[in-house]
Amino acid sequence: MSSIEEKITANFDGIEVRKIEEGRIEVKTKKEALLSTLNFLKDEGYGHLGLVSCVDRIEEGIFELVYILSRYLVGGEVAVDQASLIVKTEVPRGNPTLVTSVKVFETAEPYERELHEMFGIVFSGHPRLTPLFLERDIDLPPMRKDFDTRKYVEEEFESIPPVED
Amino acid sequence: MDRRQLIKWLKEPLKMSNKYSLHVVYFCTGCGIIEIPPSITARWDAERFGVKPVATPRQANLFLITGYVSLKTLKPIIRTYEQMPAPKYTVAFGSCPIDGGMYWDSYNTINHLDKYIPIDGYIAGCMPRPEAVFAGITHLWTLIDEGKADGYKKYRRNYSQYRSNQERLYGELGWPPRFETEGLENE
Amino acid sequence: MEIISEKKKGGSSRELELYFGPQHLGMIGNFSITLNVRGDRIVRAEANPGYLHRGFEKLMEGRSWIQNFPLVCRVNVIEPGSMEMVYSTAVENLAGVKVPPRGKYIRCIYLELSRIASHLFGLWAYSKTLGFETVGGWAMYHRDLILDLFEELTGGRVYNIYIWPGGVRRDLPEGFEERTKDVLHEIGEKVPDYNQTFFENRLFHERARGVGVVSREEAMNTGGTGQVLRATGLEYDIRKVEPYGVYDEIDWDVPTREDGDAYSRIMVVRDEMIESVHAIFKLFDKLPGGPVYNKIPNPFKWNIPEGETYVRLESSRGELGLYLASDGGRKPYRAHFRTPSYPHGLTILEKALAGESISDTGNIMISLYVTAPEIDR
Repeated sequence: MSSIEEKITANFDGIEVRKIEEGRIEVKTKKEALLSTLNFLKDEGYGHLGLVSCVDRIEEGIFELVYILSRYLVGGEVAVDQASLIVKTEVPRGNPTLVTSVKVFETAEPYERELHEMFGIVFSGHPRLTPLFLERDIDLPPMRKDFDTRKYVEEEFESIPPVED
Repeated sequence: MDRRQLIKWLKEPLKMSNKYSLHVVYFCTGCGIIEIPPSITARWDAERFGVKPVATPRQANLFLITGYVSLKTLKPIIRTYEQMPAPKYTVAFGSCPIDGGMYWDSYNTINHLDKYIPIDGYIAGCMPRPEAVFAGITHLWTLIDEGKADGYKKYRRNYSQYRSNQERLYGELGWPPRFETEGLENE
Repeated sequence: MEIISEKKKGGSSRELELYFGPQHLGMIGNFSITLNVRGDRIVRAEANPGYLHRGFEKLMEGRSWIQNFPLVCRVNVIEPGSMEMVYSTAVENLAGVKVPPRGKYIRCIYLELSRIASHLFGLWAYSKTLGFETVGGWAMYHRDLILDLFEELTGGRVYNIYIWPGGVRRDLPEGFEERTKDVLHEIGEKVPDYNQTFFENRLFHERARGVGVVSREEAMNTGGTGQVLRATGLEYDIRKVEPYGVYDEIDWDVPTREDGDAYSRIMVVRDEMIESVHAIFKLFDKLPGGPVYNKIPNPFKWNIPEGETYVRLESSRGELGLYLASDGGRKPYRAHFRTPSYPHGLTILEKALAGESISDTGNIMISLYVTAPEIDR
């Protein structure tokens, strides 16, 4: 049986596969090919979407979406060195839109909601992109690198006067 | 019952019964709540101090604000506090409600809780151990005795200031003012 | 519960919207669920987290690698040990720091102790929800005994910061092994009582059997791990699948149940506690000598090479992961926790509540081990 790296490169064009550490393989895919990649990997047995994350690469002007997939291994099957895949794709910071992966992995729903709130990424086709954590609207999504949390605290909370009796 | 306290009981029965039946509103506002279950179960047994959790704020007169207060939690805290009948006391846990503590630069936790509701006392520690909780409670007794735990009166006196601070945080509040904000006379 | 609005007119079949939490006697933790009910059946449930959101991942970007230790353990107050472990393992992976064997063993002993403490807390919450105050009192007392051990070890009852990059902060004090074993024996002697009053009690069976069923397919599709998955008969445990520490050097079992309901999940928790106690004895038997930590560079000038890592381990509630990226500086570039309660509390809970009775809301929520602080972070 061929390894998952070979399978991925055989099935997709322009995809980068590289081993980053023991048991972690990085798969870099294009934004358009994300859903088909995820679908393919799910059929290959990577049915557990552990995490959807986002890294704000502000100097390169992109958001790097990170999907971590692993296998549900059972019994005495000890994980081979292909335990987890780190699937990555990029969206431009100026226009952060991406198609939702909820149809492939149900787990992605709250994660994408969170990323919408924290990074301002719009997932088209998502069933509910409503606020998840925050109480008040913050102009700039707070997890972005250019959001200065200390300045925000200074302006919004420290400026409120103490109550004088 | 302590015999020496008999006079106090006869003089001020209301104050004394308030003091010895501090009913805590059941609201897990922060991580300090992890020390409340040990405090109210057999080993530390808060009930010997008259401290006991109750189901609704309508029956409670002590509000333990256990740790940092996020923006989303502050709203139910204000609502819960306003629902409690006077006399009511608030005790905040740890350094987070005082000045933000280790979350001083977080965009979602408010730094000075006493700008929004009055606080009668703070218990130091992250999080306060059960002994510290009891030290705080017994100190609160002293404050009640001396009439210094008067946060609820302060809230009423300065309600317009509190309300305007709350509105600065949230914009329009979803509930009407608890007291009249104009023409409050000092008690 | 407060009646908020009337959705639809029409006698007893009208739909009402109820708020369950954050200030509610049945709610453990600062969490809220909006329930749509018809009669006393839940039609639809919507989880409403965020009451404990502190923006940890943003705060971590502004603090140095070592300053983040007090932060990460506060992500989850129920079991801070696993948080320390996942962060220090990630830092070790990035910086290439190795842990000496004795350090690994002590870490595993500490992690298993905190697993038992966390499960006992969960048992308190669960039994209290069902009205078994006595069992809850015992569980809380036994948890306190373990916290006393932590206090002896580190000085803190809850937040210990014991695990450190390169090992653990200090060696076990003299006589710690005996005292730990005494505590475990004391808990073990109480197990028949626990069984008699709670686990074999007819009331518990009737409240928990067939309630909040999560099938294996459903759990696998929605990211379920930990007890949620093991209660459906799948032996999925990161300690076996991707062994960290020294879990591959000792012999232990993964307890499972078949039905996937609240009863199975709680029984898995019970069996896991017993398994953890056995594991601690085995770990002490094999405990090697030597140093407990390897020296790390001066933490104030510690630049960690550029790279990224994903670490996962089995916490008491399921798979705990951390995605950590460094840009070669003194601070993390990005950290994102994959907490087990996140899918359990936001996806699975909403599904499991639909169709159940209102009175089982707390029952189902706690049997899924939904821990609010680690959802919100």
